[in-house]
Amino acid sequence: MKRETTGCQIRDANDERRQTSDDRPNASDGLYMHEQVKDILDRVRSEPPNILQSLLALQEQLGHVAADMVPVIAKSLGVTTAEVAGVLSYYPDLRFSAPGRHIIRVCMGESCYANGCGRVLRHLQERLRADVHETMPGGRFTLDTMSCAGNCAVSPTVIVDRDLYGRVLPSQLDRMLEGYK
Amino acid sequence: MAIRLYLSDDTSARAAGAAALADAWSDRPDVQIIRTSSRGAFYLEPMVERDGPDGRIAWFNVSPQDLPAILSGTGGTPVQTIPFLAQQTRYTFANFGETEPLALDEYQARGGLSGLEAAFRLTPDAIIDELRVSQLRGRGGAAFPVWNKWKVAQQAKGAQKYVVANADEGDAGTYCDRMILEGDPFRLLEGMLICARAIGAGRGYVYCRQEYPAAAARLRAAIHKADEAELLELNGEPFPIEVVEGAGSYVCGEETALLESLEGKRGVVRARPPYPAQSGLYGCPTIVSNVLTFATIPQILSRGGSWHASLGTEHSRGTMVLQLGGRVKHPGLVEVPFGLSLHQVLEQFGGGMAPGSRFKAVQVGGPLGSLFPTTGLDMPICYDAFAKAGAVLGHGGIVVYDHETDMVDLARHFMAFTADESCGKCTPCRIGSVRGREILERIQAGSGTMDDLRLLDDLGETMKLASLCALGGRAPYPVLTAIEHFPAEFRSKLRA
Repeated sequence: MKRETTGCQIRDANDERRQTSDDRPNASDGLYMHEQVKDILDRVRSEPPNILQSLLALQEQLGHVAADMVPVIAKSLGVTTAEVAGVLSYYPDLRFSAPGRHIIRVCMGESCYANGCGRVLRHLQERLRADVHETMPGGRFTLDTMSCAGNCAVSPTVIVDRDLYGRVLPSQLDRMLEGYK
Repeated sequence: MAIRLYLSDDTSARAAGAAALADAWSDRPDVQIIRTSSRGAFYLEPMVERDGPDGRIAWFNVSPQDLPAILSGTGGTPVQTIPFLAQQTRYTFANFGETEPLALDEYQARGGLSGLEAAFRLTPDAIIDELRVSQLRGRGGAAFPVWNKWKVAQQAKGAQKYVVANADEGDAGTYCDRMILEGDPFRLLEGMLICARAIGAGRGYVYCRQEYPAAAARLRAAIHKADEAELLELNGEPFPIEVVEGAGSYVCGEETALLESLEGKRGVVRARPPYPAQSGLYGCPTIVSNVLTFATIPQILSRGGSWHASLGTEHSRGTMVLQLGGRVKHPGLVEVPFGLSLHQVLEQFGGGMAPGSRFKAVQVGGPLGSLFPTTGLDMPICYDAFAKAGAVLGHGGIVVYDHETDMVDLARHFMAFTADESCGKCTPCRIGSVRGREILERIQAGSGTMDDLRLLDDLGETMKLASLCALGGRAPYPVLTAIEHFPAEFRSKLRA
């Protein structure tokens, strides 16, 4: 369950990328990426520049913020690459690599712990054949944990994309996952 | 004519099944569904209510096929007779379950905005004096006297002053801020406006954790409504309030890390002093307070500081909002004056243990809170008693663990949490939490020794004394109290 804390790494290039399923240029293609990043950053520009909100806006649009975008982002915001890479590597929700089509987060907060989130997580790890922070083969799901969803009174909690499920039993998981292709 | 049914639109109520009910009944012409906030009696959710001759009638744990019974009025329970709710003293949460979160007129009809009106009749000094009389202490965890902080910010010089609501409710086991943001957002805005008037602030921010998307959306809608109603103004000047979302870092709930994050930087703790009230956001005087604290303030102004001071115990005035979770039978939100014992809260409101569970320990105050065994349940819930016992009330989270809990694994879970969430600025927390986790993993694997337990104790003392903020400073408490109260479990795992 160790969280990824080392700097900006690019994960396995086999990961399916959200934006590259059709004939659009790859998000990391030099010039195209440059323009796209600038466009997105222009929409959230502030004075002084806000690196975190800029990265969140990029992730919202692109699905992740790849390490090779850092110099472009830094230049566009007028800050150093170290500052951008520092923020990017700090926050658990910022991703360097494209996640699977759906992100499953299992809440590991204390109320969920008391109510058996460990069993829920183990079940998902087995079913998805993926460990925490990993994407299952084929790219359908990325498995993740979170420290509290604030749903403690209806725990344990699993969040799939934006859908929050409470009082989750391991036996219900397979059916729940069927709704996400 | 369609029958009005009240159904909560709170995230947890939806997760419990309210969303499915709303979907199932949405095209019924004989039903008009009103989406309210939740009463916080989550063990009864999804709960459906309709108007009765003497207040609302409720049906509990409803499924779609229960509709005929509800429509015919059979089998319901008057809300005012539900013991979980009837035994509470609700002020800050008085509207919950009653009103539609974004209905400004309902908010006003039930006394909303009267605190702000009172504040407009007072000078900034008089507002702060009212808070001094109230003896309100910050509800986020630090329990610092609110008036004191406001006084410092009021007297501090700055080109700009800010009011920041800390909606980064990261303590696992707590959800009252989420409920306020989703269920009674105007109360938060009113509290922030009163603060802004008192200290002379020109701008407000709500730093909302990313894990609360529904709360952020609801609050943005409330800000829009308040703006349309021309409420976001002070002395003829606009007082804009903006919602800014975080990115999953627990330590950003610490006030200085929060400010760093609000500025878009790494959410790393700042050394204090200077305190944010002197030099906060962009170096300007800033009040950072928890959502619940701001939500408590309007009624202090409308009812008077001495009203607030008349509730609770000597050093803990007013009501405390407790949030029950874990293996209690009745998880949910409880607002009561300070002073009840843990035992009373767990029995009277928690309803004892969930079926099949036997009590083992209760943790109060989130992932950094101490564990109490059966023998610790006489503890009164107030700041002084907890401080005396070396514990914290924190943000009011109460999580109950049952007989199946492996205390060694739980202790490892706590240390792993701190190791994950440490911002890395100070050595005791950054390295101590990793070493602590390693020691506990060693014990768990059966290769720990008595020396490891002594080492944990020593490490814990160092982290308590030398960490920059409460994350490192409090992290040892749940671990050391687990060892203190359940020593046999740890010893049985040691290498012979």
